[in-house]
Amino acid sequence: MEKTKLKLSRRQFIKATTAAGVLLAGAGSAGWVRKSMAAGTGTAAPPNLKVVRTTCSPNCTGACGMHAMVEDDQLKAIIQAADYPEPEYNPRGCLKGLSMMNLIYGPDRLQTPYLQKGKPGRDELQKASWNEALDFTAKRLQEIADKYGPESIGVAFQVGGTGYIQKGAVSRLATLAGWNLHHAYDQNGDLPMFWPMTFGVQSEELEPLEWLNSRYVAVFGSNILATRLPDAHFLVEARNRGAKIVVFDPNFSPTAAKADEWVPIKGSSDAAVALGIAKVLLDENRYDAAFIRTFTDLPLLVRTDTGKRLKADEVEGLSRPADVPAYREAFVAYNGRLLSVHPEKLDLAPDVILEGAIEVKLKTGQSVKAKTAFQLLKESLNQYTPDYVQKESGIKPETLLRIARDMAATKPLHVIYGASNYQWYHGDLKGRALALLPVLTGNLGTSGAGISTYAGQYRIRFKLADWWVPEGKTQNWLPFLYVLKGPTPSMKAKWPRNGIKALIIGWGNPLDQHNMANKLREMITSGELEFVATMDFQMTTTCRWSHAVLPAVSWYEKTDLVATPVHPYLQLQQPALKPLYEGKPELWIMRELAKRLNPAWESYFYPGLEPDAAAEKIIEHLLKVGGPPVAGITLEQLKQGPVRLKSEVPGNRQIPFYDQIRNKKPFPPVSLPAKIEQTAQFVKSGRIEFYKDEAIFLQLGEALPVHKPPFEESEYALNPKAREAYPFTFVTRNAIYRVHSTHSNNVWMNELQDGKPHVWLNPQDAAGKSIHQGDEVEVYNDRGRMTAFAIIDPGVGRNVAVFEEGWWARYLQGASYNSLTYPFIKPTHEAYFVPGMWAPNTAWNECLCAVRKAGGIA
Amino acid sequence: MRLGMVIDLDKCIGCRTCTVTCKSHNAQPPGIWWNRVFTPGSDFHQAASGQEGHLQMSFLPVSCQMCDNAPCEKVCPVGATYTDERGVVLVDYERCIGCRYCIAACPYNVRQFNWEDPKKAKERVGYEKGYEYGYPVEIRDPDGRLIYTPNRPVGVAEKCTFCFQYTSKGELPACVSSCPSKARIFGDLDDQESEVSTLLRDRSSFRLKEELGTQPKVYYLPPNKQ
Repeated sequence: MEKTKLKLSRRQFIKATTAAGVLLAGAGSAGWVRKSMAAGTGTAAPPNLKVVRTTCSPNCTGACGMHAMVEDDQLKAIIQAADYPEPEYNPRGCLKGLSMMNLIYGPDRLQTPYLQKGKPGRDELQKASWNEALDFTAKRLQEIADKYGPESIGVAFQVGGTGYIQKGAVSRLATLAGWNLHHAYDQNGDLPMFWPMTFGVQSEELEPLEWLNSRYVAVFGSNILATRLPDAHFLVEARNRGAKIVVFDPNFSPTAAKADEWVPIKGSSDAAVALGIAKVLLDENRYDAAFIRTFTDLPLLVRTDTGKRLKADEVEGLSRPADVPAYREAFVAYNGRLLSVHPEKLDLAPDVILEGAIEVKLKTGQSVKAKTAFQLLKESLNQYTPDYVQKESGIKPETLLRIARDMAATKPLHVIYGASNYQWYHGDLKGRALALLPVLTGNLGTSGAGISTYAGQYRIRFKLADWWVPEGKTQNWLPFLYVLKGPTPSMKAKWPRNGIKALIIGWGNPLDQHNMANKLREMITSGELEFVATMDFQMTTTCRWSHAVLPAVSWYEKTDLVATPVHPYLQLQQPALKPLYEGKPELWIMRELAKRLNPAWESYFYPGLEPDAAAEKIIEHLLKVGGPPVAGITLEQLKQGPVRLKSEVPGNRQIPFYDQIRNKKPFPPVSLPAKIEQTAQFVKSGRIEFYKDEAIFLQLGEALPVHKPPFEESEYALNPKAREAYPFTFVTRNAIYRVHSTHSNNVWMNELQDGKPHVWLNPQDAAGKSIHQGDEVEVYNDRGRMTAFAIIDPGVGRNVAVFEEGWWARYLQGASYNSLTYPFIKPTHEAYFVPGMWAPNTAWNECLCAVRKAGGIA
Repeated sequence: MRLGMVIDLDKCIGCRTCTVTCKSHNAQPPGIWWNRVFTPGSDFHQAASGQEGHLQMSFLPVSCQMCDNAPCEKVCPVGATYTDERGVVLVDYERCIGCRYCIAACPYNVRQFNWEDPKKAKERVGYEKGYEYGYPVEIRDPDGRLIYTPNRPVGVAEKCTFCFQYTSKGELPACVSSCPSKARIFGDLDDQESEVSTLLRDRSSFRLKEELGTQPKVYYLPPNKQ
C-alpha cells in the first residue's frame, strides 16, 4: 500500500511507522514486501520509544535473545531479537518469555521488603523498609552463625548460567561468610548421574543446530515439543531432511506425534530396551570394534575374584608408568601379552582382545582369572533377550530387532535422554545403558552424533572464580537432599555439625518446588529452620513462608551475563527498565548484607558503584581472565548481541568430546568450575567407562549397566504396602505454560489452560474410577495429597497420573504437589562428591500414588 | 495486492507463542484472544485423540481468515467492517455499534466482543496502576477510520488486523515474526513470486470451511505426518 494514502496525524504516522520499524528491525527477517516494493518511511523516533536487546533467562535453558519495546519506562511488548548469526536459531523465544510483562507488572510483584513477626506460613508478613529488613536479616544470620557455626546457614540460589553476575554475588558473600551452598543442578534433579559415571563429565549436549546433521534421533522420554520450545523445530526439520525420529515414551506426547515412530514402553524400562538393543549390536557384530578399543574401558581386564579392574601395578612384570597422575590409574589389556595401559594414551594395539578370559600372575605370586569388560558386558547382556525385554518394557521383539539394526546402520546416531526420564531412582543405570548405543556404534565426537541431556542451566562456561570465590577462600557445599533427609552413613559431602538452621533463597521457590514430604514447611513450623530469607521479584509461596522477604528485580531491570548448555552463545541482560517499586538487583542486596555482617566485606562488592555499573565492571574483568572460551570477547560486542563462545571444534560448534575423539585425548574434558583431578577420578582409566568397580557399584550389582525395575529399592523398600496401596505412578512433567514455578501466576498462561491445574489420565483408568473429563481428582499417598482436574487422554499410559509441575500452592488448595514425593538418595550417587557433578540427584518421578474422584470414596 | 498467510501445520509445534504475541502486541484485554491454537479432535490442547494404536495429535492455529467473501462484512449494518485495498478485513471501532451480527456470521468464531471497558478488565487482573501493554498508539487508515487503539471502546467487536501497525510498513505480523518454528509465511497472494504464492503452487494446501465460499486468504499446509 502506498504510504501517502495514510491519513494519520503527523505524530501518529511517525509513531506508527517507526515503532514498528524499530521493534521489528532486528528480527533479521525481511518483511513481506519484496525490495522493489518497499516504500520509504519516516525515520525520526518518537522521543520516549526505545528497544533494548536483552536475554530472557528463567531456569529453562532457552536463554533467548529478546527485544524489549519500552515507552516511558514501561515495557509495552516483547519480540524475539532474532539476531543469532545462524538464521536457523531465529527467532528464539516462547509464549512465556513474550508475556513477562504479566509478572513484571502483575499483582504478585513485590513492592517492598517484608518481615515476619509471627509464624511463617500462617501469619501475615509485615511491610518493612530496606534498612529494617537488611538489619534484621544480618542480625539473625549473625546470631545463627555464632550459635551453630556459619556452615549451618544454607544458600539455595539456583543454577549459575541464568546469570553469572548476580548469582556470583551470592556465592561471593556465602564464601566469605562460610555458609553452605546448595548446588541447584542436583537439587533440581537435573544432574544425569550417568554422565560423570560413564564419561567423567558433569553433562554434555549437542547444540540443537547439530540435530540437523543427525540421520537417526532416538528420543528416550523427552518431550522436546513442550520443554524445548525454541529448539523443537530443529527436530521437525531434521525429520524432513530425512533423519529418522523415534520416540520411546510411555505417553503419546506432542513430540511422539511429530516423530516417524512412537514406541510406547513401560515407565522407567529404558535400560531394558537399551540393553536389548546393545545385545543385538554385539550378537550380530554390528559394533565398531576399533572405536571401543580406543575410547572405552571395554578392552581392559577385570579380576573375576574381586570384580575390580586389574591394575598394572599388581601384575607381575607390569608397572604403573611414572607419569600417571595420582587421580588416574594404569590398567591392563591383553594382546597375547599383558599390557600396561597408560590412562592418557588412548591408542591400543589393534590386536588387543575385546573378548576372552585369561589367567594373570600377580606380583604377590597369586594367579587370578581376568576377563575383559567387553566379555563381562556380553555375558551380562545374555539375559536381555527380546522376550525378556518385551516382558519388562512391552516392546515387541520384532520392533526391538528392527530398531537395533536400523540404529546400527544409520549414522550419525543421536540419543536424547529426557530429564523426566532420568529423574528416577535408577536414572543413572538407564543413562549408562543408553550411552552404550552411540558408543558401541562409534557415534561420538562428530557432527550430529552422541548422547545428550537437555535440562538445567547449570553450565559454567568459563572461569568465574575471580567473582564467585574471593581469593584464598574455600567453599562449603552440601547437596540439598541431605537438608531434607538428614545425613547418611555413606555421604561424602560434609554434614554441618548442627545441621542446617537457616536458609537464604534466591531465584527459586523451594516451598512449592522442593518441599518433598512437606519437609521444608515442617522444618520452618517446628523451628528446626530458625530463619529463612528469600530474594524474589514476586510474592511466591516461598516468600510467604519466609522470615524476611527481600524484593529483587526481574531480568528486564538489571545487568547480567547469561549462558546456557543448550547453545554456545554468551549474552547480556541489559536493563530495559528501571527497577520497579523498591526492587534491587541481588548484587546490591548482597553488598548491603555484607557490610552489615562485617564492614570489611563491603569492599568485595564494588562499593560506590551503582549495581549496573558494578556488574559491567565485573563482566569486563571476567572476560579478561575467563580463559579460552571467552578469549577476545568484549563487553561492547556483547552489548550489540550474542557472541558465540570459542571451542576447539571448527566453527566453534558445540559437539561434545570432539577433541577426545579426533585427537585421542583422555577422558574427561574439563567440566568447569571443577579441576581436572576432581572429575578425572570418576573415570580413572581415562576412557569411557561402562564398568564401574567402586565398592558400592559391585555391592549393588551395578558394575555394568543393568535394568532394574522402578520402586523395588525405593518406594517398596520404604513401605512394602505401597505395592498394593499406591498402584499409580505420579509423573510430574513440564507444560508449555510454565518454567517450573515461574509463570504459574501468569494471567494469560492460565487463561490458556482454563485457569486450573490438571492431572492427565488414561481413559481406562479413569473409567474404572468413574472419573470424567474436568472432574476434580485427588492424588495422594502416605506423604501428601493434592487435587487437580482430570484430562482424559488416550495417549497417557496405564496407571500413571501425569501432573504438569510448577503450580503454586494457592492453585492447589494450599497443598504442594511435591508433598507426595520423597528425597530418595541412591548410594551410587555418593561414591564421590563434587558439587553439582557427582552428587545425590533428586528422583521426582520415583513416586507412587493413588487416584480417586475428589469427594468420592476410594 | 491481496495479503494472505500460509500456515504450515507440519512445522507447527502447538506452542501457542503466536497466540501470546498477538495478544500482547495488539493489547487484547484479559479474556480476549484474536489468535488461538487448537488440537483438533481433542477437548484439551495437546491431548491425543483416537484409539490405542491409532493415536493422533496435530495443531491448528486459527485467527481471522481474511475472507475475500467475508460474511462478517456483509452482515455489518453500518459498514464498520470493511476490506481495505490490500485485502485486509478491518473493523472501524468508531463506527461499530456493537450489534454482534458479525460475531454470529463468522464461521470461524474468531471475532471477540468488548463487553466491558478493557481498562476495567485489566484492573481486575491487578496490574500496576497505570500499566498498559501492547502497541502504544492508535492507528487510523488512510480514510481516517480507527482500526487500532490500545484500549478499545466498550461494545465493539474486534479481531486480527494482520498487525496493521507492522504490515502497513512492510514488516511482518507479530505472529509470523515470533513463531519459533517458522510455521507462518505472510505475503502478497497476487505477487506470483512471493513466498506465499510459491508455497501454494508447490505444496498441497487447504482452507478452513472452503465449502462455505468465504474464500479465506489464510491457507494451511497439511502435516506431513497425520
